Amino acid sequence: MQEHVTLTIDGAVIHAVKGASVLDTAMEYGICIPALCHYPGLSDIGACRLCIVENVAGGKSKVTTSCTLTVAEGMVVHTDTEKIQRLRRNIAELLVAKAPNSRAIQDIAVRCGVKNVRYSFRNDNCVLCGRCVRVCGEMWQAKALGFIGRGKDRRVDFPFGRKPEFCKTCNTCIDICPMTITPCIGPMKKGQERLCGGCEGQLTMTKNFTDSCVWCELGKGFQCTRHVQMASRE
Amino acid sequence: MSVKLKTLADLNRVRASSQTKKTKPTTVTMCCGTGCQASKSQRVAEAMKSALASAGLANSVEVRLTGCHGFCEQGPIVVIDPANILYRHVTPEDVPEVVNKTIRTGEVVDRLLYTDPVSGRKIVKESEIPFYQAQDRILLSQNRQVDPAHIEDYFAIGGYSAAAKVLGGMLPEAIIEEIKKSGLRGRGGGGFPTGRKWEQCRTADGDEKFVICNADEGDPGAYMDRSVLEGNPHAILEGMLIGSYAMGANQGYIYVRKEYPLAVQNTRKAIEQAREWGLLGENILGSGHSFDVEVARGAGAFVCGESTALMSSLEGKVGEPRPKDVHTVKDGLWHKPSCLNNVETWANVPMIINNGAAWFAAKGSNGSTGTKIFALTGRVKNTGLVEVAMGTPLRKIVHDIGGGAYNGVAIKAVQTGGPSGGCLPADKFDLPVDFDTLAAAGSMVGSGGMVVMDEHTCMVDVAKYFLAFLQDESCGKCVPCRLGLERMLEILTDITEGRGRPEQLELLADLGETMAQTSLCALGKTAANPVLSTLRYFRKEYEAHIDGKSCPAGVCRELIRYEIDPEVCTACGACLKACPHKAISGKAKQPHTIDQDACAKCGICKDVCKFNAISVC
Repeated sequence: MQEHVTLTIDGAVIHAVKGASVLDTAMEYGICIPALCHYPGLSDIGACRLCIVENVAGGKSKVTTSCTLTVAEGMVVHTDTEKIQRLRRNIAELLVAKAPNSRAIQDIAVRCGVKNVRYSFRNDNCVLCGRCVRVCGEMWQAKALGFIGRGKDRRVDFPFGRKPEFCKTCNTCIDICPMTITPCIGPMKKGQERLCGGCEGQLTMTKNFTDSCVWCELGKGFQCTRHVQMASRE
Repeated sequence: MSVKLKTLADLNRVRASSQTKKTKPTTVTMCCGTGCQASKSQRVAEAMKSALASAGLANSVEVRLTGCHGFCEQGPIVVIDPANILYRHVTPEDVPEVVNKTIRTGEVVDRLLYTDPVSGRKIVKESEIPFYQAQDRILLSQNRQVDPAHIEDYFAIGGYSAAAKVLGGMLPEAIIEEIKKSGLRGRGGGGFPTGRKWEQCRTADGDEKFVICNADEGDPGAYMDRSVLEGNPHAILEGMLIGSYAMGANQGYIYVRKEYPLAVQNTRKAIEQAREWGLLGENILGSGHSFDVEVARGAGAFVCGESTALMSSLEGKVGEPRPKDVHTVKDGLWHKPSCLNNVETWANVPMIINNGAAWFAAKGSNGSTGTKIFALTGRVKNTGLVEVAMGTPLRKIVHDIGGGAYNGVAIKAVQTGGPSGGCLPADKFDLPVDFDTLAAAGSMVGSGGMVVMDEHTCMVDVAKYFLAFLQDESCGKCVPCRLGLERMLEILTDITEGRGRPEQLELLADLGETMAQTSLCALGKTAANPVLSTLRYFRKEYEAHIDGKSCPAGVCRELIRYEIDPEVCTACGACLKACPHKAISGKAKQPHTIDQDACAKCGICKDVCKFNAISVC
């Protein structure tokens, strides 16, 4: 029999499956937490830091990622405090300045409330979320992709820079890559990058229905858990 | 001769005999730590041995090659006991004179004596040197008494007596209680109470547990862990043995950087000796407790000093941190309960067991007990390893031990805690150096690096230097650390090159807080400290760079220019010859001038000018 624990997320008392992550539990109950590196069925590494929440314990609140936080009896979690909103916005700003040429990243920026970008834009093709690396290693057991290098030299590549024989060319890595869909306004050329913000209207709906997922279009863009799960069922 | 010790009585007998062993009348102690080795101390040691042999003194003089004494700047250091005469900067050529005069007749060789840079007088005795006098050397004094290659030396100063006490019937709970009462906190940077960590590890579920020694010291300028591990490896082994018994672990690892070859060598030798003597292995001293230690070499990644990254590296994976929502005392190395402590923390354990928690707790101040070794470097007269009680004011360390400003330039700040620490200005020098006070002031004790900076240091440039270091060393896994550092460095580069904008200061503070709150590991969480602390205490310098487009310390090349004062210039031509860019022109008897377009602002002209005619503005 499945064991359950009771915890509080944003004031709602929730009966959660023991061992589940706070992110999965919250999403299941319609509490929207933006995330990028998280993908259903893959292990969580806590790389993008977008799914941060405040975990209150012993009178202290600690900011931690909800994807790596396992639910526990009596846990109190806040997913949308002012502090969290501000920190999330700053992270999304870093991401969109780095890789504006992706609908997923632009949607995350809108979702997290980025209004202006205080850094100069780059036009990079990868934000190192590691979805491809994990899907290749965990789902297909191929391990044809991995991280090479450290820090600013970190990149995703084949072993020794050459496509190995054990790569099954399944293309799952490309399917789940958040960088493959260009923004609605079309691909941005170098020097013309900007914050799109076209879907800001979607936010009014989520604001009016804070306690339930309104299946906003943004979710599709940044491949939120619910949309991914629905797509896989279809 | 090594004998396998089978019982506690065996150990006590061996220790007693090594303590009462007849010593030779004279002892020559020579520092052969890495610092002194770099000044060729090994050649001095060889010269000493052969000079003593040819003088027929080999039987009456004992030569002891020890680890670091801490006064590395004055190396190679030779101390002759019992007269306690200290010679510094000794070369192989000096050795015959030392043997003939001092060792034979007791005459002091004047020119090898240490001159106190503050008072200018020569000092004969080691114990009278102000640098040593102002310290409280409980760990470093052992370094001075022990040859790391001889376990007998360690027995002679009471080594493994704490292990004997523990294995002889102390309950694990009692050991943990003792460590808790002593107030010992982790010396690696975090300052987590050691006793609490041990208790959590002891009570954690798991069939197998590990104890690990973190010797992956990577802060620029810090080398205390290296010195303790090189000079006194048995103290760490004994500490780990006690810890393993208290927590129920049977395997330990010492994770040490490959860049510390002497530490690796000495530790491996010490482990071999401890195994030969039966102090590591199965059923140690008949107590039923089994414990062994292995040395693991790190490949020099700074981030591997972080506990989870270190454990990943030990497992043979890429050294990257993982989320610590479940602490490593429950889910550590190979997902088993693991207790990771710093070199200094382990080395303190035997002393606490021997002398009692009260003795240890008596040193130090509110919330931080015992002593801590700091690596004092930068613009002070005396540099080296400094061991003081926690809570000692910064002023005492900088002025009394360090001897104050070097070359008379006023001291502006002290950078504590390495790249993750912060800069404290001179008006905060009365702050006691303890974990909580420094953290409240925006810095940290960290592993114990202390870099003194004077008016010739630009604080923006310092922050930029540390950021560049951290950007190189960040693993790149999480967004705030990887992208945040990149942007921060970009902004600081803008500021130091004259493109800074006032609103960027707010952005730095905002970004810094985001990194501190949201990064995955302690490297990212503390990476903004150099910027945040300099912004807090030296905002004026940032503003001067942005608003005035000038660098008050005269460091940032894009914002300064070198000029020759025509009134003072004697047209000697020294700068003209020295300039590698041919930017200086002038004829005989006419003041020289600098072509600003050709000038690369290297400062060589200023260094060679004997008349102080060249200034930075």
